[in-house]
Amino acid sequence: MTIVETQNLVKRYGDLVALDHLSLEVKEGEIFGLLGPNGSGKSTSLNCILSLLSFDKGEVKIFGKTMKPDAYSIKRNIGIVMQNVAVFDELTVYENIDYFCSLYVPDKKQRKQLVDEAIDFVELGEFRKFYPKKLSGGLLRRLNIACGIAHQPKLIILDEPTVAVDPQSRNKILEGIKQLHKQGATIIYTSHYMEEVEQICTQIVIIDKGRVIASGTKEELKAMISMGEKITVETFSISSDQMTALRRLPGVITAEYADERLVIKSEKETNNLAAVLDFFKNESITFGRIYSELPTLNDVFLEITGKQLRD
Amino acid sequence: MFLQLFRYRLKCLLRDRLLIFWTLVFPILLGTFFNMAFMNLNNDEKFEPISAALVTGGGANDAIFEQTVHQMSLGKDRLFNLKTTASKHQADQWLKKGKIKGYFTDGPLIRLYVQETGISQSIMKTFADHYRQNSSAFADIAKANPEAIQKGLLDDLSQQRNSVKEVNTGGAKPNNVLNYFYTLIAMACLYGSFWGNKEVCDTQADLSSRAARLNLAPVHKLKLFLAGCCADLLIIYGEILILLAFLHFILGIDFGTRTGLVLLTAWIGSMLGLTFGTFVSAITRKGENLKFAVLTAVTMAGCFLAGMMIGDMKYLVAEYVPALAWLNPANLLTDAFYSLYYYDSLNRYLINLAMIAVFTIVFGFGTYLMIRRRKYANL
Repeated sequence: MTIVETQNLVKRYGDLVALDHLSLEVKEGEIFGLLGPNGSGKSTSLNCILSLLSFDKGEVKIFGKTMKPDAYSIKRNIGIVMQNVAVFDELTVYENIDYFCSLYVPDKKQRKQLVDEAIDFVELGEFRKFYPKKLSGGLLRRLNIACGIAHQPKLIILDEPTVAVDPQSRNKILEGIKQLHKQGATIIYTSHYMEEVEQICTQIVIIDKGRVIASGTKEELKAMISMGEKITVETFSISSDQMTALRRLPGVITAEYADERLVIKSEKETNNLAAVLDFFKNESITFGRIYSELPTLNDVFLEITGKQLRD
Repeated sequence: MFLQLFRYRLKCLLRDRLLIFWTLVFPILLGTFFNMAFMNLNNDEKFEPISAALVTGGGANDAIFEQTVHQMSLGKDRLFNLKTTASKHQADQWLKKGKIKGYFTDGPLIRLYVQETGISQSIMKTFADHYRQNSSAFADIAKANPEAIQKGLLDDLSQQRNSVKEVNTGGAKPNNVLNYFYTLIAMACLYGSFWGNKEVCDTQADLSSRAARLNLAPVHKLKLFLAGCCADLLIIYGEILILLAFLHFILGIDFGTRTGLVLLTAWIGSMLGLTFGTFVSAITRKGENLKFAVLTAVTMAGCFLAGMMIGDMKYLVAEYVPALAWLNPANLLTDAFYSLYYYDSLNRYLINLAMIAVFTIVFGFGTYLMIRRRKYANL
């Protein structure tokens, strides 16, 4: 079942086209990753989907119904975790979650149980009487998440929830998202951290300049590019003749040497590492560490757009 | 649902210490300073009898003059606190020591001795001149027409008659100081606009992420906004009541006898402040701090023109730019309180109240037009 569907969404800010005929389809039970560099249109597309932002063209359907600002039956089943922490400084942790939950669940008894569960979920039990200003950045992000998911929605939208969060809190947040998914929620997750998207998303769309440039599972995305392996060799020196010879090796796409580090990108299904080792042995080049990596989503983005995800 | 929204909003607002300071503590502090600065202003304008002396026994005494001076030194509304002495030297000593402002010597030529010039000395001179003119006129008439004395000339001349009658337009005495305190209440009402500003910032999705989250909830935006406004209004009115109680019971500021109408004016003033804040916040497309600055500047300018810093400003504006007086909410509120205090008739008060109500409706409707949209072009 399709949970969210956008067709040919166009959003312009004057001459700037923020969304350029963006079409997305999120199926039930997916963790749908929207990946793109800063300013690529991730948040804009979410705000248009949620009917918060007007758009020039296109259509948005959620749960099979057209999304409108007064589509309360749809909104009741959506949980939002904003990019910026959106809580009241004057309310405690418990009161904040209870307040936002009360917008969805009027029944006090039912709400109390949901709020307690949300507090347990984000592990803020010992901070329930704390005011947000007393919380660290990571705890604040967890509170932000709790406020968005306490009413146990079917669709959860998380807009870069790990920005400016320490690694420990980030891991907790990612584990929490996986848990929500296991509990049956469909999740839309935006980020410019490719590692996070790779780690948790079952379906990924890469966007740039408001357009979809690639979509699929992470395996499908990596299969789209010619690079199959990236070999890194730490070595003190290598001559230009040796670099030229290295680039002529079968399967080598590119070879770059900088800062005593040689990076070789090779095609798929070739015995690249063995060939590189043989080359170093034959040329009597001394080297330190040598290691091989599979392509990342950043490599996918780089090959398709010619620029880094974090540019 | 509405009650739940109201309850949480009230809790949120009551915990905003900064706004509580500006809207409650600051007017109370300002009122205290006003009281310290103005408490003697009315007393200064009261006439105090002049310490004077009369040197008698200088030979050719003028009994009538002595009698007149003594008469002017009797009673509650006396002109002089009179000392009499037969020694001019003694009178000089009093004058040097500052015990008297001046002294008269009688005789064929009345003389006034003073050490310095001032209001008291001028009054003494005017008194002496007045006496001499009258006695001279009396002597001339008596000489030319002796029968006139028998016809009651003496009684006619000795009686003081006022040609102008003072008419009090209300039940209270005129009080220049009260206007300062009434402008202070007007300021406190208009500072209620800070709550209105906060309300709009927490409702418009393009102004805060909290508001964006609230806009995504399955609750009508107007319901959220109205619940918040009810909480705002309750707080503003509560603050104004505390201020009124402080001014009246602690500082002794008089509001007249129409307590019910004073409370009604405070209520309408609170609504004016709230809608003023929501309106300015809704039309100003910048950050919360800038809106705060705009509201403060407009309120203080209004209070200045209503006479908060210079008492005569209110009358200057009313005389030279009357339209500005009617377009200044601070002046309308100040004038409404003063009308209640001073005038017996409610006409002037009702006109002020009607103007305040018009402003409130205009600001409220303007706010509704600005915030009713449910989608935003920018976030």
